[in-house]
Amino acid sequence: MSIKIIKAGVLTTLQDGGRSGWRSMGIGSGGTMDIFAMSVANYLAGNDEGNAAIEINFPAPEILFQQDAIISLTGADFLATINERALPIWRTLLVKKDSVLKFKQPVQGTKLYLAVHGGLQAENWLGSCSTHLKVGAGGYLGRALQKDDTINFNKTHFSCNENKILSWHVSQHELDKIYLPQNNIRCIKSTEWDLMNEVSKQNIISNDFIISNQSDRMGYRLNSKPLLLQQSTELISSAVDTGTVQLLPDGNCIVLMADHQTTGGYPRIASVIKTDLPKLAQIKSGQSFNFIIVSLSEAEDALLAMQQTLHEIKNASHLNIKKYL
Amino acid sequence: MSSYTISLLNETALLVSFQNSIDEIINEKVIALKQAFAKNNFKGYIETVPAYASLAIFYDVAIVKKNYTAATTAFEFVKNFTDQLISEINFTNTSKSNLVAIPVYYNGEDLEYVALLHNISAEEVISTHTSKPYRVFMIGFLPGFAYMGKVDESIATPRLATPRTNVKAGSVGIAGFQTGIYPLQSPGGWQIIGQTPIKIFDAKKDNPCLLQAGDSVQFISINKDEFEKLNEY
Repeated sequence: MSIKIIKAGVLTTLQDGGRSGWRSMGIGSGGTMDIFAMSVANYLAGNDEGNAAIEINFPAPEILFQQDAIISLTGADFLATINERALPIWRTLLVKKDSVLKFKQPVQGTKLYLAVHGGLQAENWLGSCSTHLKVGAGGYLGRALQKDDTINFNKTHFSCNENKILSWHVSQHELDKIYLPQNNIRCIKSTEWDLMNEVSKQNIISNDFIISNQSDRMGYRLNSKPLLLQQSTELISSAVDTGTVQLLPDGNCIVLMADHQTTGGYPRIASVIKTDLPKLAQIKSGQSFNFIIVSLSEAEDALLAMQQTLHEIKNASHLNIKKYL
Repeated sequence: MSSYTISLLNETALLVSFQNSIDEIINEKVIALKQAFAKNNFKGYIETVPAYASLAIFYDVAIVKKNYTAATTAFEFVKNFTDQLISEINFTNTSKSNLVAIPVYYNGEDLEYVALLHNISAEEVISTHTSKPYRVFMIGFLPGFAYMGKVDESIATPRLATPRTNVKAGSVGIAGFQTGIYPLQSPGGWQIIGQTPIKIFDAKKDNPCLLQAGDSVQFISINKDEFEKLNEY
């Protein structure tokens, strides 16, 4: 009842929706970079959203299945193959014991999720199986997966005769609602928006922001025409969150991502709306995007709409695989 | 009543800000509000994050909107709830803080520098640092990292110009008027004056963090032998 990493990838980690209730202790939520793709990966594999999935970057690992399994791949497209046969993403897949999953090349996106029916066994730390790399807790021994690591999944009665791709899939229309237009990232004004000078308040909308290669799970650094404050201001540390856009002293911005610190001292000029964090997480370094400022009610409505979409995909996915369970 | 502003951090969190300064009386208001939320909150409430002079309140938009349909936005509801809660708090009646004694072996690599900068002896740096309890204003930067203060002006020292790539867990440092303890091995720019043998962060415990915002910390100077006897690392 397990899978085995036969070749390591770059920062392959177990992640779920993250932990809550510990921010006041300096322990942030962490968790998946793309909540939409991770949730759908679980649904397609017949799980609830709370299970841990494997978050995969490119170069990706090679994975051996030591048992028949129902799996799914979502998020980034890395040209997956099983025993050298091409596999689509956003589908339920039946995998025969001794099959090898490989990834050839990154075609689109940066974060790919692998979920396995029954759920992957992972260390729960403070209410979440997400890997906390700094503390070295949660997930698989609190670290990225390495060659020869074996991850167990919960016992299921599933068995199959051959590898199979089920026909039902998440509609392109639903995916486009989340991931397109690729270069528009919506945000709302945050606490220190008004500290920016008038020109910068215009520039934040007209600027192209390029994701720097100094970007990681803690934050995406952006390069752009510098944004400026009306006057230099010394702020004292205060809470930040995933999606918070901080303005650094050099005029560039950083968007805080899943593994961000809980507090920060830079002006919080804007905040990427929760619904557009999956899209942002999938943008490669070197690519550019624009910020679009939206209202608070649009941000709230978008979040509810994404949750509704996830709910519908969950019902449809579970119905689809019922006969295989 | 107390002067404050409420702003949006994002669509799932609002921020209550008191004055922008590092001050015990302001921080006591932050902690009083945090404690008020712990006792009296709303459906969809998740958690609060106290800082020097602000408290962030995190909530679940869907749950708030489902339960409190009169408000046009979840933010509006949480803002009104917060205004009401603040109006009911007696800010002058602050709760007694929890006093934690932390032993320190003052052998830090920057102890001599701090002494030299202020033209005092290393012994005077130690006696000043241990002369009074410090308030834990907030936890941030790293899991369990307590920002404490304020240290006496005679030992207040700016951060290192170039941060170290590796500061040991348990290192006790000074940054400006703040003092703190590194809970984990980490890069860092604080002036390291000593080492505590006590684990202030232990991932294996149900509550991994020894300190929380609002606590008081009294540092106690110990010698090398005592350090080795107590060493938990």
